[in-house]
Amino acid sequence: MTKLIYLGCLSNARYQETCKNAIKIIKFLDQKYTVLEDVPCCGALSYHIGNDKELNNHVEFVNNWFELNNISEIVTTCAGCYNYLTKYYTQFLGQDFKVKVKHFLQFLAEPDNLSKLDLKHSGKKLKVSYHDACHLRNAVVPIIEEPRRILNSIENIELKEMENIKTNSICCGAGGGVYSIFKENSDYNSKLIFDQLNRGKILLTACPFCFTALTRIREENQLKKPVKKIEDFIVNIIEGVDPLSE
Amino acid sequence: MNESGKKLYEEVKNKIKDSQKEGTLEKQFGDFWKFACVIKTRQHDLRYLYDDTSREFVDKNRENLIEMREEFVNNMDLYVEKCINIMRKKNFTVHYAKTNKEAQKIFMEELGDAKIIYKSKSNEAKDIGIIDVLKKNGIIIKETDLGDVLVQLFDYKLPSFQIGPGVHFTEEEIVKKMKEVYGVELEPKAQAIVNYFRNTYRNELLNNVKISLTSANAISAEEGTIVLGENEGNISLITRATDKHIVVCGITKIVPNILDAVLVTQLQSRINNVSFNYISLISGPSNTSDIQGTSVQGMYGAKEVVVILVDDWRTKAVNENLIYADFLKCIGCKSCIYSCTASRAFGNIYASKYGLGVTAIIRDYIHNGIEAAVNDGLFLCTGCENCYHWCPVSINCGEILKFIKKEATEKGLAPPHLEQYKEKIYKDKNPFL
Repeated sequence: MTKLIYLGCLSNARYQETCKNAIKIIKFLDQKYTVLEDVPCCGALSYHIGNDKELNNHVEFVNNWFELNNISEIVTTCAGCYNYLTKYYTQFLGQDFKVKVKHFLQFLAEPDNLSKLDLKHSGKKLKVSYHDACHLRNAVVPIIEEPRRILNSIENIELKEMENIKTNSICCGAGGGVYSIFKENSDYNSKLIFDQLNRGKILLTACPFCFTALTRIREENQLKKPVKKIEDFIVNIIEGVDPLSE
Repeated sequence: MNESGKKLYEEVKNKIKDSQKEGTLEKQFGDFWKFACVIKTRQHDLRYLYDDTSREFVDKNRENLIEMREEFVNNMDLYVEKCINIMRKKNFTVHYAKTNKEAQKIFMEELGDAKIIYKSKSNEAKDIGIIDVLKKNGIIIKETDLGDVLVQLFDYKLPSFQIGPGVHFTEEEIVKKMKEVYGVELEPKAQAIVNYFRNTYRNELLNNVKISLTSANAISAEEGTIVLGENEGNISLITRATDKHIVVCGITKIVPNILDAVLVTQLQSRINNVSFNYISLISGPSNTSDIQGTSVQGMYGAKEVVVILVDDWRTKAVNENLIYADFLKCIGCKSCIYSCTASRAFGNIYASKYGLGVTAIIRDYIHNGIEAAVNDGLFLCTGCENCYHWCPVSINCGEILKFIKKEATEKGLAPPHLEQYKEKIYKDKNPFL
């Protein structure tokens, strides 16, 4: 039986450093987790546009790949993969989908893992804000409290909530493939998220799609406060690097 | 993707570009709408009028509301029958129209040779195509809600904010336009503009209305009572000071009883954070029995109240379990519009002739098909499901749009990049490589 780190196609293609950090943390907590080559995309984007037959074929292809590689458990660092693997794979495959899927945040928030990590921020007290990605808050098993539990457990880190949080959070405007066709959506909505960063010095997100949109808006608007994937932030804390540094 | 898909994508792109041009009315509306969405959603958590916030109010009633709406949808034909029976007993003239076309025909017959109709704000009348048919027949439509009066004054063609349709026009613009159209010179102040209409239009509404048109916020099946909420008093005037009051709405406006109807109306007021200063409960035409107990219709109020209940797509949606069947539960509160990612960013680009936002797009899809929906900005929806989280009756409009998107893709109407992604997923197993 193999425990797989499922990085997701966007992170794998664009955010290698973040992938390395995620692998570092997951492996530190459970040696048995492994990364495999040529992992297929879960197909999340095509759920908005593909027909049921095409989707079914793809889902079966991915599931066969899981079976072929003897995958029993998955920790994914992608919000989209988590949402779709837990929702549509069960919907399409029913009992045939046997893989236990966890999101990185769920895995991290397990009490044993949190105490093993024993996170302490070495610099002076830092106020952070967390953006709830739609993929995580809308999932069959929503991931809303886990990131808060993780951030609140870190010594010298204070979570400052934004105005719109949890199921009420503002979507970054990139979901559903909209980022590739109508960037204007994230032009407005991602900026709105930054505007809510009142006291938080850094914006954290666990979704690579949100991260992409937020990063672009930050650069285009020359905003000062950084946006970071949560796995990068945690590695910064572990290594004593200032999370505010680029 | 076929040519019409490409064309539709370009059209939406161009609409967005136009809406961002400085100095245009489109940009002005967009800016206003962005602000309005933030304010409306923020008000949801404020405690400035009542002891509870609107969110708390919704949460408190959600379970009850869902149960009530499901009960109605599951027994729609029974409730419609019950409602029609009691209304006829109460001297309403009731028509049941199977289709929009039939409703339009009935409406024109009820109108007789009248050439002018006074109307309140009504999304249902748009949905049923009454406005189109009135225009086609050259009937003069007199709007009575000030917002609609302004929209008409400016000949503004795009959909605007249903609650305040003319709220994006500035005072200066309004008085300038009024000078142009009415030849009056007014101080550019809201009070002065309102005074003008009070002093002129109010008299007309009190004395000249022969036929008026409204929809209903809700109709109770048990009591046969129409509930209408408003703040201006225009509905009160045109439903009383008229000969014939015609109510046109879909059968989904029916709720089991009057308490449910009042709850729905109160919910609409809370979600929109507007106070309904007047709530009319209309249970029949005006009548008196003061002379020897003889019942005579048409004392001071309307002599006749005609109700046209329209089915059109509704029963079919249940029977055939169509993808938008869940939408039948909708109580028209508009929370999905305020919380919508796409609506916030795109205002009346993400809209149809039925109004702003997702519900208007679903209506356009129902009446005018898939191409119309794509043109309304179907693919601007990110699927964030904020509409679902906010909806007091838990309709997942995001999921409905996902089905509509699928249909669009199958017909080759999806934007080009999305098609490419899909192909890459299926072929390369990674869309980003």
